[in-house]
Amino acid sequence: MAARALLLASLVLSCFLLPACYGTVLFSSLQRTLEVTASPTSGQVLKGGVDKITVTWGLNQTVAAGTDSTYKTIKVKLCYAPISQVDRGWRKTVDNLKKDRTCQHKIVARPYNAANSTAQSHEWTVERDVPTATYFVRAYAYDADEKVVAYGQTTDARKTTNLFRVQAISGRHVTMDTCSICFSVFSVVSLFGFFYNEKRKAKRPQ
Amino acid sequence: MGDIEGSPGSSMHGVTGKEQTFAFSVASPTVPTDTTANFALPVDSEHKAKVFKIFSFANPHMRTFHLSWISFFTCFVSTFAAAPLVPIIRDNLNLTKSDIGNAGVASVSGSIFSRLVMGAVCDLLGPRYGCAFLIMLSAPTVFCMSFVNSAGGYLAVRFMIGFSLATFVSCQYWMSTMFNSKIIGLVNGTAAGWGNMGGGATQLVMPLVYELIKRAGSTSFSAWRIAFFFPGWLHVITGIMVLTLGQDLPDGNLGALKKKGDVAKDKFSKVLWYAVTNYRTWIFVLLYGYSMGVELSTDNVIAEYFYDRFDLKLHTAGVIAATFGMANLVARPFGGYSSDVAARYFGMRGRLWVLWILQTLGGVFCIWLGRANSLPLAVTAMILFSLGAQAACGATFGIIPFISRRSLGIISGLTGAGGNFGSGLTQLVFFSSSSLSTAAGLSWMGVMICGCTLPVALVYFPQWGGMFFPASKDIVKSTEESYYASEWSEEEKQKGMHQQSLKFAENSRSERGNRIAAAPTPPSTTPNRV
Repeated sequence: MAARALLLASLVLSCFLLPACYGTVLFSSLQRTLEVTASPTSGQVLKGGVDKITVTWGLNQTVAAGTDSTYKTIKVKLCYAPISQVDRGWRKTVDNLKKDRTCQHKIVARPYNAANSTAQSHEWTVERDVPTATYFVRAYAYDADEKVVAYGQTTDARKTTNLFRVQAISGRHVTMDTCSICFSVFSVVSLFGFFYNEKRKAKRPQ
Repeated sequence: MGDIEGSPGSSMHGVTGKEQTFAFSVASPTVPTDTTANFALPVDSEHKAKVFKIFSFANPHMRTFHLSWISFFTCFVSTFAAAPLVPIIRDNLNLTKSDIGNAGVASVSGSIFSRLVMGAVCDLLGPRYGCAFLIMLSAPTVFCMSFVNSAGGYLAVRFMIGFSLATFVSCQYWMSTMFNSKIIGLVNGTAAGWGNMGGGATQLVMPLVYELIKRAGSTSFSAWRIAFFFPGWLHVITGIMVLTLGQDLPDGNLGALKKKGDVAKDKFSKVLWYAVTNYRTWIFVLLYGYSMGVELSTDNVIAEYFYDRFDLKLHTAGVIAATFGMANLVARPFGGYSSDVAARYFGMRGRLWVLWILQTLGGVFCIWLGRANSLPLAVTAMILFSLGAQAACGATFGIIPFISRRSLGIISGLTGAGGNFGSGLTQLVFFSSSSLSTAAGLSWMGVMICGCTLPVALVYFPQWGGMFFPASKDIVKSTEESYYASEWSEEEKQKGMHQQSLKFAENSRSERGNRIAAAPTPPSTTPNRV
């Protein structure tokens, strides 16, 4: 038992040793220096797998020059609004970014060039594994060490304005439903078929 | 002989507790072999096997064993199939934590009722058809999972799939028709343990099936639905195997199990009365709710817990969760074995202490599991917790045969139901609300295990003692005969209905431990009729 536990523990530990080991970055310590806009209007409902979101991001022109000198990559993510986090601990907002679960869906990641100050944009089709919920868009700026240094989002600080909804695919198909029904019928019919067949054989004179 | 097929408790009749957990056979002088019979295994006069050859598939005895435990295993797989896929299902169906928790409660509640009905079904149709009917009629409920669109549907389908856990009853019943009562304890215990492993196997297999389907090109929200076809097919295939390969009795399939008419069948109301008015029954119902019950609850929450807390991939979380359930392979027999070893030296008092120690240790490791912040520690704590809880399950059934002889079947049934009830209760209290994180829920469940195991100290057998008190010094009360005969009224004793109980009482003297030589013969015992 102990050997098995040790083996399992070392196996799991080796999976756990990820190359990147982030220092603790708190969301509250980040500066909101990026300007992010997304195409969905407030309250709009987008269909999973079908509708598209165009995201535009760039440095906020009002911040001091040189603030973005450390930014190397921008990652834009789809994030859950507070209403979709209620009673769902797996989407909880936590200040420690390593444990934060607010933004679980990546839209795009692009390298950032401080010299080129024009806003970048990207058109993204809402993927089919995005669940039905209310969202906003947030962009994180990473430095060369893959540490988060700044952010920007389409909503306000309390995450109440400019939220949009996604209506996910159901995951059901007609083929699947048909197969389901067929197999169920087969199960019931073969059971009763067997039963009556055996009863008939038992009744037949020997 | 007077042992009526199908009467309450008949599947456990003959279990004296003297048999070692690893007693694989009954020696010939103890039970005479029927030499005229032509079976692969030596059989007794009823053609029930006297030997338990685990790796044989010989028809009909060992084949029955394998069909039985595989059908029970299949039902565990389908009942807990949703658990490792919850991280995907909760996104597809927009579930909240309380939806998930309630569905978990529903999955174990259905079988409380279906197990009670199953006994009657087996009486009517025989165990083979009882098993096949249940398995094949619950296959559509498993296939129905692909239709589910909302939290309500999810709960309803999990509730209906949960009914299939009544195969436990058909499994034990079927084997009591095939195996001699002196080895039935081991056979049933092994089948139950291996069946329970299904709860572990499913955590491993379902994420793998899901990944395969995704690799084949499906979206995640379709893949989990298609993955449910796997347990569904298992139901159908196992059902067909039971129908084509199985038989009700060693001598073939009978349209009806004949009820032997020599002795009047015991009245159900009396049997129920003696079960319900024995306080020990309720203590063990509570205890089993916190050994088997927490095992079932953990089967439902552990994969999601590891996935969320430690950011694991779905199938990694599944592998870890699987080790919890798979530990049943050795842990449950180990519990029975330690109970037997303790009984050899300390008698029933040893059994009670072993149960308390194993179950409390399980509780302590459960507390640790909730508090462990690193993955290796959490896995270690989980494995130790599983060993403690499952060994406690085995140790519980080392004691149950001695609580009552007359009402043994009902007490076993009530205890089993207590397990499911405890599971539903712990899931409702600790894992259904967002105000309590799953980690905290696990720790509090551990505290509750330790607390709810304390009542075992109140169990007292006048002839053997309890955890803290030795056997009674009273010359009448301190005999096994007086304890077991007290379940029969004077009238019934006049009719000689208590003979089996007296025989059992004599055999159970081993529960005195090393003091066997000191048993005084009470003056008022009715002499055994020859």
